[in-house]
Amino acid sequence: MDFSETAERISRKMVQKGQDASAIDRKKIETKLKRLVEEFGVQPSEAERSVTNELAKELNIPVAGTGGSAGGTGAREEKPVAAMAPGDWVTFEGKVVSLLSPPSPAIAQSGIIADTTGAIRFVVWAKANAPKMSEGGWYRIESAVVDEFKGIPNLKVHSGTTIKPVLEDRALSPAVIRVSDLKPGIGSVRAKVLQEWEPSHDRMLQSGVLGDESGTIKFVIWKEAGKEKLEVGSVYTIWYASVDEFNGRLSLNLSTATAMKEDGDIAVSGGDVEARGVFVHIAPGSGLIKRCPVEGCNRALSRQNYCPVHEIQPKFVYDLRIKGWLDDGKRTYNTLLQRDAVEALTGITLDAAIQIAENNPLGMDEVFLQMRDKVLGRYVLCRGREIDNRLLARSCEWMKMENGEHAALLNRAGGAA
Amino acid sequence: MSGGGAGQQGGRRDSGSFEREPARRIFASELRECRYQFREGDDEKSPTFVLLPTGERCNRVFVVGTLTEKQRQGDQNIFYRGRVVDPTGTFFVMAGSYQPEAMQQLARIETPAFVAVIGKPSLYQTPDGAYLVSVRVESITIVDKETRELWILDAAKATLDRLDAAAGGASPDAVKAKEQYATLDPAVFRKMTYDALAQVKI
Repeated sequence: MDFSETAERISRKMVQKGQDASAIDRKKIETKLKRLVEEFGVQPSEAERSVTNELAKELNIPVAGTGGSAGGTGAREEKPVAAMAPGDWVTFEGKVVSLLSPPSPAIAQSGIIADTTGAIRFVVWAKANAPKMSEGGWYRIESAVVDEFKGIPNLKVHSGTTIKPVLEDRALSPAVIRVSDLKPGIGSVRAKVLQEWEPSHDRMLQSGVLGDESGTIKFVIWKEAGKEKLEVGSVYTIWYASVDEFNGRLSLNLSTATAMKEDGDIAVSGGDVEARGVFVHIAPGSGLIKRCPVEGCNRALSRQNYCPVHEIQPKFVYDLRIKGWLDDGKRTYNTLLQRDAVEALTGITLDAAIQIAENNPLGMDEVFLQMRDKVLGRYVLCRGREIDNRLLARSCEWMKMENGEHAALLNRAGGAA
Repeated sequence: MSGGGAGQQGGRRDSGSFEREPARRIFASELRECRYQFREGDDEKSPTFVLLPTGERCNRVFVVGTLTEKQRQGDQNIFYRGRVVDPTGTFFVMAGSYQPEAMQQLARIETPAFVAVIGKPSLYQTPDGAYLVSVRVESITIVDKETRELWILDAAKATLDRLDAAAGGASPDAVKAKEQYATLDPAVFRKMTYDALAQVKI
């Protein structure tokens, strides 16, 4: 078998990556290929791949991920974004639709690049010495590598990649898909913002839930220049959001995205559940709480009236809530009751709770204890929406005895004996 | 769930997320018969289960009954013992200094009272070889009579569901229960359930 052609191809690839042709020993490549194929029975395509990788490592060139097909054969071939798979060497023209601040000094630029077929995350290594790309610009990228990071395809621009600006500005709008069709990677949706949660991190600008007719998904926006919060209840068309997966659940990172507010409304699909069971645990932070008065913040304050974002807020606003586990004997629901549901269930109004807190040595703890003793271990029926394994109860009521059930159970127990 | 077998009941730890163990509804006469306790996984935090004779694993229970007695014990390490009675028998409950909240709750309740108990069952063997199942209380609160009756219905339904599932399907837990409790006739538990229901007056 003749390996000179394959060896030639490999060395050409290395030259393409900016290596000096004289530094590459074609004979050595041939020997290695021959050894792998003839001595070790390796498939020729696999041998080519492994020799390419070995050599690239030696010469310090980024290589394709191990999951890919025969690396490098497609380097010259034009490939649309939608067809890119980990392990591919690709050349294409695309638009930088989003730039992020690089997470590490080893990375010069990162963001999202798209063509008419789709979008992909990209990283430009600092070592690549590539020209800076600007957001909104079109570029021709030659010989970049697609690999996988956290299960999501990612385009790597390395020292062998050439980037040339494309001067004409072309129109580009992504295909908007349904929320339930989102997959890890990049996605564009048209959805309504349903809820906003307390940010769990200093760098977090906003997090919450959005949804369309097909389903709901958690979203997060990190603090970055030019990023604005979304309005709860409004509909947005969101282009190029990053879809991440954690513990089998998807979430949308809108830091990469462009969100355009729209008129109109969407009927968001179900998620409605009805749970009958018992509160088996009432979590700290239930009862009477203080919230940050800053417009649009509404975070729960600590005992010292400290808001994680707006610091000390002496002019807090009181609120009621119950966080706890509702258990039906088969599964437990992490449940959150808002003020209305708390008042209806406990019979303690917000005003009454404030009175209790002000006239009692235990203060707000007394409200927690009174509510706990009223709610814990009692049968309730909660209706609400289940999002992200949490039941957000719209209404809650005490369960009552139902005559028919007793008779039916007696029959069941006695009948089959 | 009853047909779901071990994987589902053991929570979704395999995928890395945490799922709280549900509180089983179980009558005192059934819990008293437990003789087999096991652990899922080798992790320090992996939960301990008692295997119910009706064929389901149980890491937590929810019981409602009458607290008839309570007793403070220990000098240095104070703990409380109590007896909670349901229509079929007695649960032995205890709360020690590792459950300070539960201990305070239990200390405050005057007997007799209807109580709802959430806790973890554990199996002990006394020096003379007898088995004792007690419930380590996570929380105990006073409830009304209606809650007790709702619980009897709930526990009856859960028990019948377990019996039917064990009779019909072959979930790993049901199979193990048949091995471990070969001498126990499931009909006993059906009868127990009927008797418990018959005590509820509507």
